[in-house]
Amino acid sequence: MVFEEIYKHYWNKVYRICMGYVNDADLAKDMAQETFINIWKQLPNFRNESAVGTWIYRIAANNCLRQIERLSRMPKSDFPEHVEDVVGPDKEGQTKFLYKCIAELPETDRIIISLELEDVKQAEIAKITGLSESNVRVKIFRIKEKLTQKFKDYEH
Amino acid sequence: MSTEIDFKSLWGREKASAPDVSEILAKANRLNYCSRRKIWMCNIVLSLTIIVLAMIWWHLHPRLITTKIGLTLMICAMVIFIITTNQLSPLLAKADMQTDTNTFLLQMIRIKHKQEFINKTITTIYFLMLCVGLGLYFIEYISRGNWVFQLCVYGITLTFLAINWFYINARSVRKQRKAINEIIVKLEEVNRQMGSGT
Repeated sequence: MVFEEIYKHYWNKVYRICMGYVNDADLAKDMAQETFINIWKQLPNFRNESAVGTWIYRIAANNCLRQIERLSRMPKSDFPEHVEDVVGPDKEGQTKFLYKCIAELPETDRIIISLELEDVKQAEIAKITGLSESNVRVKIFRIKEKLTQKFKDYEH
Repeated sequence: MSTEIDFKSLWGREKASAPDVSEILAKANRLNYCSRRKIWMCNIVLSLTIIVLAMIWWHLHPRLITTKIGLTLMICAMVIFIITTNQLSPLLAKADMQTDTNTFLLQMIRIKHKQEFINKTITTIYFLMLCVGLGLYFIEYISRGNWVFQLCVYGITLTFLAINWFYINARSVRKQRKAINEIIVKLEEVNRQMGSGT
């Protein structure tokens, strides 16, 4: 598969996963770019052993986790701050609130729910994360429960 | 549980304009160039020092075995440092990004533990070899001066080495260890999330 095609098709998907992880648009764009640099470097090694989507999402998820290493090198004042603005109940406000809630979840849950919302099948999520399918199913159910509760509190 | 909220449609509303693909490729090349330049700068400085040491050996024709051992130790210390920074460290730091998250986390934890060990060990070996080498190298030339000269040179050298070892080196090792430990703790915490329910 040609890199340009992958880039065109997956840019927004990868960007959203990064955005769900950090809830900072500029940082998410940088992370998405880094992910595509890795994809570009690794593309000659891609052996079609897994679907190209699974392969791309694995690189994206692992690149998100590399933030742990990078953030520890940053002075505390440079940490991206989550959006704390009061947002309205319209669609835009709800979208912002959703990303804020996701970025507040534990790291692996952020990745799992981002993949689920990106319409990745649960079997694929299991392959991407290395968890069992049943574990993924349980985690998704619980994360959605949490998010729904937060939305209920937010709307009232 | 309520399923009224359509998370997927809200999620899909977030979009960002994709930078031109040439920008991504240019950034990749820039990053490659920067990391290569950093390694090469370190290599050039240490290689020049090795050449200078070899030239001292060649031109001054040291007579005592201590001088020769001293020069050899210093050259070896630098060669070990070059090999570690060029070969071993990048090899150790290379994590397989194509693997699943669980394996990736375990791999990162292993890498960080190894990095901590290598940092500590190599810095200690490098410094000890350099100190012993310098001490042995000086014996021949310092013994030619009077006792005041000998006392001064040894005093200054020992003070310089002690400041380096007990202050500068100790501080940098402590700082590095703290940074690596923080990363390890966080990675282990994330790894525990994999096994636990939400």
